[in-house]
Amino acid sequence: MQSYISIENLAKSYGVVSAVNNISLGIEKGEFFSLLGPSGCGKSTLLRMIAGFETPTSGAIKLEGADVTDVPAHRRPTNMMFQSYALFPHLTVGRNIAFGLQQDGLAKSEIKKRIDEVAEKLQLAAMLDRKPAQLSGGQRQRVALARALVKRPKVLLLDEPLGALDKNLRTETQLELVRLQRELSLTFIIVTHDQHEAMTVSTRIAIMKQGQVLQVGTPSEVYETPQSRYVAKFLGETNVFAGGRAQRNGDELQIESDEAGGRLHAAFTDRVALDAPYWVSVRPERVELATSGSGLEGTVEQLTYTGVERHYRVRLKSGATLDARRVNHGTESDLGVGDRVFASWSPQASRLLAE
Amino acid sequence: MSTVATSFEKANWGKRLLIAIPYAWLLVLFLAPFALVAGISLSTVRLGMPPFEPLTAWDGSILNLRLNFENFLYVLTDDTYLLAYLTSLKIAAISTAAMLLIAYPLAYGIASCAPSSRSLLVFLVIVPFWSSMLIRVYSWMSILRNDGLLNALLLKLGLIAEPLRILNTETAIYIGIIYTYLPFMVLPIYSNLSSADKTLIEAARDLGCSRISAFWRVTFPLSLPGVLAGCALVFIPVVGEFVIPDLLGGADTQMIGRAIWLEFFNNRDWPMAAAVTIVLMALLVVPIVYFQSRQSRERT
Repeated sequence: MQSYISIENLAKSYGVVSAVNNISLGIEKGEFFSLLGPSGCGKSTLLRMIAGFETPTSGAIKLEGADVTDVPAHRRPTNMMFQSYALFPHLTVGRNIAFGLQQDGLAKSEIKKRIDEVAEKLQLAAMLDRKPAQLSGGQRQRVALARALVKRPKVLLLDEPLGALDKNLRTETQLELVRLQRELSLTFIIVTHDQHEAMTVSTRIAIMKQGQVLQVGTPSEVYETPQSRYVAKFLGETNVFAGGRAQRNGDELQIESDEAGGRLHAAFTDRVALDAPYWVSVRPERVELATSGSGLEGTVEQLTYTGVERHYRVRLKSGATLDARRVNHGTESDLGVGDRVFASWSPQASRLLAE
Repeated sequence: MSTVATSFEKANWGKRLLIAIPYAWLLVLFLAPFALVAGISLSTVRLGMPPFEPLTAWDGSILNLRLNFENFLYVLTDDTYLLAYLTSLKIAAISTAAMLLIAYPLAYGIASCAPSSRSLLVFLVIVPFWSSMLIRVYSWMSILRNDGLLNALLLKLGLIAEPLRILNTETAIYIGIIYTYLPFMVLPIYSNLSSADKTLIEAARDLGCSRISAFWRVTFPLSLPGVLAGCALVFIPVVGEFVIPDLLGGADTQMIGRAIWLEFFNNRDWPMAAAVTIVLMALLVVPIVYFQSRQSRERT
């Protein structure tokens, strides 16, 4: 089945440097899709190719089945919200928002109606006569969003849209973006390097590295079942131990790990090949620490209090470190630095990673 | 707390001193001579040295102040001067417009080059300044003469049958002025365009502008401060230009700079020359104030 937006074997290189390397992706109508990765992973280049600012070296971009690869930016039914906002400093807020509508040759009354509508939605009604320089960062961000949304694009592209906002405003704005996206039932594609942001806003996330897409999935899919150590580490924190071949034992898989200094357990799935070595990944919040019992033995090396949680760093007998977390329930920690502990987790918390 | 206050005051005094030096310079070398010229414009011509009557004279215990406004009345009613003013303004306006048309694409072209080649291109714009302006204007005389380089070339190419008379015409004045002043128009426009935010153009394209309409709706309006600075840098000195019309122009094109020179050195009528100068200043204040207010408005 053809996706709403389909990216087919897309590549972009600058001379010998390959920025985007043979990416294929399908994005459905009404999705809030994230391109997530560190800087230089090609996510912005990919977004700019969808917008029409960069010409792909090879491959195709299709929108509703129509090939738009060679359509220039100004004729594409996409609009972009820039990282720097790119508001026109010589025009008032109202004229900034009207810019694209005037370019489309809409009637004055229609332009006014649409501006009022979007200004209402984004609380900009009181500042239509101001110049961008007179606005706060958050207000500018809303103007940039209004200017792109007022054109009613088929796809709204957001390039690190919240990077310039401070943390509290950013969280607030993320929720606001999700609300808007649902309300307008538009397709959003956002580029971000912030995994929290991607998890918060997205219906699906594509994790990118060095011009390639490593994994695509819903936030819980990519967090709970990462397919590589890179994805596991990039999304949140995790403990990874190199292990040997997996042995099946009923519903369970057993892996000997010298790094962890013991036998690790994982739930059996038929996706696991029994003749290859694996890495075992476990999230710190799934690790349980006890002063006695079974599991990996170690000592608490560091204890950090963050308010929401306590973070424990455990030095295992094997020499490796293991991170664990406990939600703060208002009680004092029974574990302190230097205490001997046993770390364990349920087999379902283990992820076997082939790469 | 007190150390903060003193260091702040020190900085403040340093700042004042920095500003005071150029102001003192302007006061001594511009305002004072200007006051002298203004004084001379109100006196009466006489034979001798200096060639004008003093404005004040003691009559016993009475100090008489004698201000002669005849020169101003003459300047403002005489057709020759009026024509010279109008000619100067016309030549300045037309050559400013022509320079803008030449300089803008040039500056735009340089600004859109790769940063590595930009500095070379800007350098080439400034290169003519390395030789004296007078020498360059003299070179134009030999280029534009009836038996000069230009005519020789055109004759050789068979484009004309007999030499064109360019030297000592208004055309030669335009050529000389545009050639001489062009860098002053190019540089401020270039400096503005090269620091322009390229993502604004992308934003305009994204919102539906073709390259051409993105230029007219975004690039050009945002470059207006540079355009205005260039126009001011060129228009104001060209109105009072003396060397170029004197060397390249003909007897029939009287610009006001030349009129002042003739009045001072040929007629030795200093009061009249001073009055012509003062009126020219008054005329130029209008565009200067206009450019200044536009600039400060652009900034807000």
